[in-house]
Amino acid sequence: MIDAILNTFTVSGLIWLSVTLCCYAISVKVNLFFNGHPASHPLVITVSLVGLALLLSNMSVPQYQQSVSLLHWLLGPVTVALALPIFKQWQKLRHYGWRLFASIAVGGVLAPLLAWFTLYALGSPVALQLTMLAKSITTPLAMEATAQIGGIPALAAVFVITTGIVGAVVSNSVFLLCQVKSPEAQGIALGTVAHAVGTAKAIHMGEEVTAMATLGLCINGLFTAFILPLMFSIVL
Amino acid sequence: MLQLKNTFIGVFAILFAYYGGVFLSASLGLPIPGPLLGLVILLSLLFAFPNIETHTTLVAQPLLKHMSVLFVPAVLGVGMYWSDIEANAVALILAIGGTTALSLGLTAWVANKLMKKKSM
Repeated sequence: MIDAILNTFTVSGLIWLSVTLCCYAISVKVNLFFNGHPASHPLVITVSLVGLALLLSNMSVPQYQQSVSLLHWLLGPVTVALALPIFKQWQKLRHYGWRLFASIAVGGVLAPLLAWFTLYALGSPVALQLTMLAKSITTPLAMEATAQIGGIPALAAVFVITTGIVGAVVSNSVFLLCQVKSPEAQGIALGTVAHAVGTAKAIHMGEEVTAMATLGLCINGLFTAFILPLMFSIVL
Repeated sequence: MLQLKNTFIGVFAILFAYYGGVFLSASLGLPIPGPLLGLVILLSLLFAFPNIETHTTLVAQPLLKHMSVLFVPAVLGVGMYWSDIEANAVALILAIGGTTALSLGLTAWVANKLMKKKSM
């Protein structure tokens, strides 16, 4: 934390932090303009804008990462902050009990296994396979978990966001195709498989869907991030 | 002034949980990431002292709402792995595109069957 703060109060730290925050503010506006469409996710736009700025100013990515290390450091506290939505939805969690956990477990196990199997069957490198295991959980947890099991955290962030965007974009047609109309079931599927991006999509679908998506996101993230490293430390 | 004090308490609670988790994970040599233990510590704190919910919300809500901006440095680092991505493009597209739609459908279907009996 001390390092991160010291890096912030240098000339390049202050400049790049402001640049990043400005790009983010623009991205949020653009996302609102497109009515919150998942493909216009603020991260996609912010990364493109900052990337362009780095290219134009001849700044290398590692230098940039050091200047804005405060942002990266905040990933830890934001992971901790996920306790709050779990606490707020505790009543619902108790109401649905094992049915909720069982539904989340289906998505939480299927999504990474199917993705891993695809890479395994097509003969991709092991580091990519391992990274794919965390693709359905929220980014800060996914990065922590992949670092523990020997995957690549930077790639995890990209896989996770892409998964979320794909999930949110196809969700309406998938639910129609599977004839799932219950808002609870839609919420759980969105939150469990498409994490935070899916939850953002759920906000447009109603309060019940959002509440269930939040639970799916938090519970699946929590369990996957616990179980993956434990499994690997026992096996290896 | 009160707002400031409450924010301060919220920051303290989150940092306490965070460093507690990091310390536990490192000192006991646990394979579980420190921030994840921090999450569990904060959740226990919230159950033990429910009145700190308002304080934590003040800090946690904006953090959670804008968490996308925190991934920017990490995602920009992905350029280093560009050759890996290119070499495995087909597999990655199938793994992310195809299986995500499939898992989404299956999860919704199972949840639908399970939850029907206990709708609120």
